[in-house]
Formats: sequence, C-alpha cells, structure tokens
Amino acid sequence: MSSQSNIALNNWLMANNVENISSVDEIYRYDRKQQQDMLAAKPWDKDPHFFKEIRISALALLKMVTHARSGGHLEVMGLLLGKVDANTMVVMDAFALPVEGTETRVNRLENAIGWYHSHPGYGCWLSGIDVSTQMLNQNFQEPFVAIVVDPVRTISAGKVCLGAFRTYPKSLNKVEDFGVHCKQYYALEVSYFKSALDRRLLDSLWNKYWVSTLSSSSLTTNADYTTGQVSDLSEKLEQAENSLGRAALVGSGVGVSGSSIEDRRSEDRLAKAARDATKTSIEALHGLLAQVIKDRLFNQVRSRPA
Amino acid sequence: METEENNQNVNHVMASSGATGSISVLLHPLVVMNISEHWTRVRAQEGKAQQVIGALIGKQKGRSLEIMNSFELVFTVIENVVIDRDYYNTKEEQFKQVFSDMDFLGWYTTGDSPNESDIHVHKQICEINESPVILKLNPFTRNADLPVTMYESVIDLVNGEATMLFVELTYTLATEEAERIGVDHVARMASGDSAESSQVAEQLQAQHNAVKMLANRVRLILEYIRAMERGEVPKSHEVLREAKSLTHRLPVLNSEIFQEEYYTQYNDVLLQTYLASITKACHDLHQFVTKFNVLCDRQGIMGRRMRGLFF
Repeated sequence: MSSQSNIALNNWLMANNVENISSVDEIYRYDRKQQQDMLAAKPWDKDPHFFKEIRISALALLKMVTHARSGGHLEVMGLLLGKVDANTMVVMDAFALPVEGTETRVNRLENAIGWYHSHPGYGCWLSGIDVSTQMLNQNFQEPFVAIVVDPVRTISAGKVCLGAFRTYPKSLNKVEDFGVHCKQYYALEVSYFKSALDRRLLDSLWNKYWVSTLSSSSLTTNADYTTGQVSDLSEKLEQAENSLGRAALVGSGVGVSGSSIEDRRSEDRLAKAARDATKTSIEALHGLLAQVIKDRLFNQVRSRPA
Repeated sequence: METEENNQNVNHVMASSGATGSISVLLHPLVVMNISEHWTRVRAQEGKAQQVIGALIGKQKGRSLEIMNSFELVFTVIENVVIDRDYYNTKEEQFKQVFSDMDFLGWYTTGDSPNESDIHVHKQICEINESPVILKLNPFTRNADLPVTMYESVIDLVNGEATMLFVELTYTLATEEAERIGVDHVARMASGDSAESSQVAEQLQAQHNAVKMLANRVRLILEYIRAMERGEVPKSHEVLREAKSLTHRLPVLNSEIFQEEYYTQYNDVLLQTYLASITKACHDLHQFVTKFNVLCDRQGIMGRRMRGLFF
C-alpha cells in the first residue's frame, strides 16, 4: 500500500515539477545582504586563523584540474568565485584568466573569493613569491584564498592533489634562516560538495566511464614522471650521503653539539628521500595492481567443460 | 489520419527516424557539469527551475567535433526567446584569448525533447555559425541513463516547404586522464564525509566498482542469451554475433612478447619498491644510530666513548 502511494507521489511530483530545493542545493543561492553584512563586519581582521575550512564545488574542482592540465608543464592561473559562510569559505566556480577580465559580472552574483594556480609536478604548497602575492591579496581583497593544484601528481597518484592556503599577516612572523616559508601560511581543510543534479549526472556518467577506469594503465601514463622521480631520488640520496660524510667528520672532532646542525640537515634530507621513495613506489604499486587485475580478468580464461 | 496529424504536430521538429547524423561528437564531462551548475544556480537563485541557454565551444576536425567547454548566454523572452548578441560577442572575444584553438560549435539548453522554441533559437544561432549542434539536458529524468541528447539540424521538405528539423546524433564521452580522476573523486565522495581510509583501499575500491559494472553487464548479456534460448525474447542474430565475437576475443593478449613486457614491468615496479624499502631502512637505521649516540653520550666522556662503541 505504502509503495503504491510512494509511486503516486513520485508521479505527481514529476508531473508538476515540484520544486523541492533540498538543503543540499541551498548552498548555490547567493544571499547578497548576508554577504554584505559579512564584508562589513570583517571578523577575519581580528583572527588570522579565522577561516578553518573551505568547500569547493565539483564544477570548480573539475575546471581547475582541466585548466591546469591544459597548461602542460607551464603554470596556469585563474580566479575563484564564491562566498563566505561563518568560518568556511565556499568556492562556487573557477575561471581561467584572462577570461575573467571586465565583463563577467553580468551573470554572476558572487564575488571573487580567491585565486588558484598550478604547480605541475612539484606539489601543492606556496612558494616565496606566492606567499608575498597572497599577503598582498589578503591586505586589499579580503576575504581571499590561494589554491594550488598539481595536475601531474594528480594523474600519477590517481587522486586529486590540491591545497588551499591563507597567509598570516607579516607582523606575526620572523622569517627563519632556513628559508622556510611554510610557517607564513596555513592550510585550510578542504572538502567538496555537489548539487543533487550533479550527483545524478555523475552517477550516470559513471555508467559510461567505468570502462576507462578499468582500462587506464597508470604505469604507462606516468612512466616519464616516475623516471623523473627516481633520478630525483638518486640526487637526493647523493646529497644526503655527502652531508652525512661531512657530519661524520665534524662529529668526530667536536662531539655531539658540533654535529647537531649538520646531522639534522642530513637527517632531514634522508628523511625526505625516504618519504619520496615510499610515495613513488606506492603509486607504482597501485598501477601494478590495476595491471594484474586486468591480466587476471582478460588473459587467464579457464574454459569450463560444456 | 487524425492521429497522424496529431503526431506530426507534436513532433514536427524531429526529422524522420531514418535520418542519421553525419558527424561524430566527443563530449567532455566538464561541459555536462557546467550545464548542471548553471541550471542549479539559476534555480536556487530564482526559487524555481528555469530554462537556461548557453554556448558550446571546442575543436572541430573535419567530421568530428570535440566539445570541451561551455559558457552562459543571456537571453530575453519577448514572446519567443531572443539571444543577446552583444553579450555573445564580448564573451567570444574573451574565450578566444584563453582557449585560442577552440571554436564556437553549438549551443545547449535544458528541457525534454526539442520543441518549437528550440528551432527559433537555433535559427538565431545559425547566424553566428553555419551548422551548430544542440545539446539538451533533462534535469528531471528519473532513469539511470545520462539525460543528455545531441542534435544537429537539417533542412527538409515538409508539406512542400523547406523547414528546419532536428536529427539526433550519437556521442561518446571523452576520457582525458585528469578529468577522469576529478570526476571519479567528486562522484565517489558523499557530501560532507572525510575520507579516512587507506590509499590502497581507495584504489581497490575504484577498481572494484569498475569490475562490478563489468560483471553486471556480462550477466545481463548472459541472461538475455538464456532468455533467447528459452524463447522468451525474439532471437536476434546480431546480438548473438556480437556476443560470440566478444567471447572470441578472450584471452586478449597471450603472446610471448606480451608476457615478457608484462613481467619486465612487474619487475621494474618491484625493483622500485625494493629501492624505497632500502632507503627507508637506511633512514631508520641512521635515526637509530643517532639516537643511540645521544643516549650513550650521557654516560661517558664526550666523543671518545661514542666512537668506541660504533667503530
């Protein structure tokens, strides 16, 4: 009985195109007054760690990744549109520059909420120039976020490689001697969202996409990148070895205190080399998993007696 | 006679089903997501669903089109839909700067099957580009198929006068690696959950999903053939032929050359893993030695005892 009434309800809903904007899609509505109130209040001025999370729409993610990929080995950049929601920044859309010139506000109510650029092959972090650019942005265009995407690592790892960062205002930091810019900014926690229609479309896209997931061979696609990583690793190990040699000399002469700086540096190098090696081999193993699965499925056929 | 006329009235924008499309279309999922977001945003802002219209851009090589991106178009509704040409011209200049090798290929809209107003819009678009394609996305469909259909226009003789009709086109989805990973990622994560699982689990989950789909499809074919055997469905020789050719293709690659390459690749990966584990072991050992040194040093005289223990 209840299933029949459900069917009837669904039919009625469909026939009348009843608009049931679920709370999932509420995020797509831009409330101008609420945004202006936020902009006037500026709660982020008092707390440099005000924004803790960032939500990125499925479309913005796809656009950023596709744009970054189209650049090949060149860095590309673009602008992000979105809004603010309590302690969370929300990115609704992304535009490649210079399309975002003058005219695009015609159909878009949202404001610029940040910028993104790509680091093809060298990871998601902010370089020195990036940090100064972002600090400038945060002075004049608050609220603003910097997103970095790495299309090469995305493809090699089979996972999206993206980071969202905000810098601390200058007065809070002393730039350390090791040139570590990483203390000048912090990473926001990234999560993604999609609309109800997105979900349905993505599900039906999957109906056609599973073929390419099964047939993709990441070992071949990433061969160049992997070779690069291995030779990179060998260089790092050589450097680590050299500095260890130096540390041993210094250590034997002076004792523990003298060797500490060299030791720490060489240890950092060795630690980093170990980490990179593990990461590369994990990705290679994943690719191998896929290959083995394909081999078992399609090559090893046991014919059953009729 | 009457019903025929009625049918004609309802469907007089579609050419007869015998006509097949003349071009092959490759569609990027990004375009589908673009349209979906456009529609959702307008709906959330206005409070109810409205028809949205936009332009499609991409590359064209002879008879094959690749639709890679899209943008919105502004239109006004004065009786019929009128496209704002100025807005289009500005947008065209802009996208030429970023996507310099992409051309205007067609337009998209939301809705069910094509109708009169679509023909009207199409005629306006034809002023921009000679033979645009149309993409219709139906946001209200309930079945699992992708609710995207593509059409092109032909001029046909209907009742003695030349009218524009739509012909459905078949399209395939483009599978660029980065796009696929992005789509995979947003498809699989539920809104608002944090993926704590291990990397291996994620990878295997993706593979498992794909293999599950394959198994479902194969099972479907098997059921169909069994039903044909029992006589429940009419025999279709074409389907049988295709199924036979499919099974004949297994095993796909069993030559010696393949085995050699396969095992070489396997060994390469194992070598890499070996390298990584040695590096890690070196690092761990180094750390151990350093820590041990620090410990020992507390007991004895600086330097000498430490050296003595490890020489």
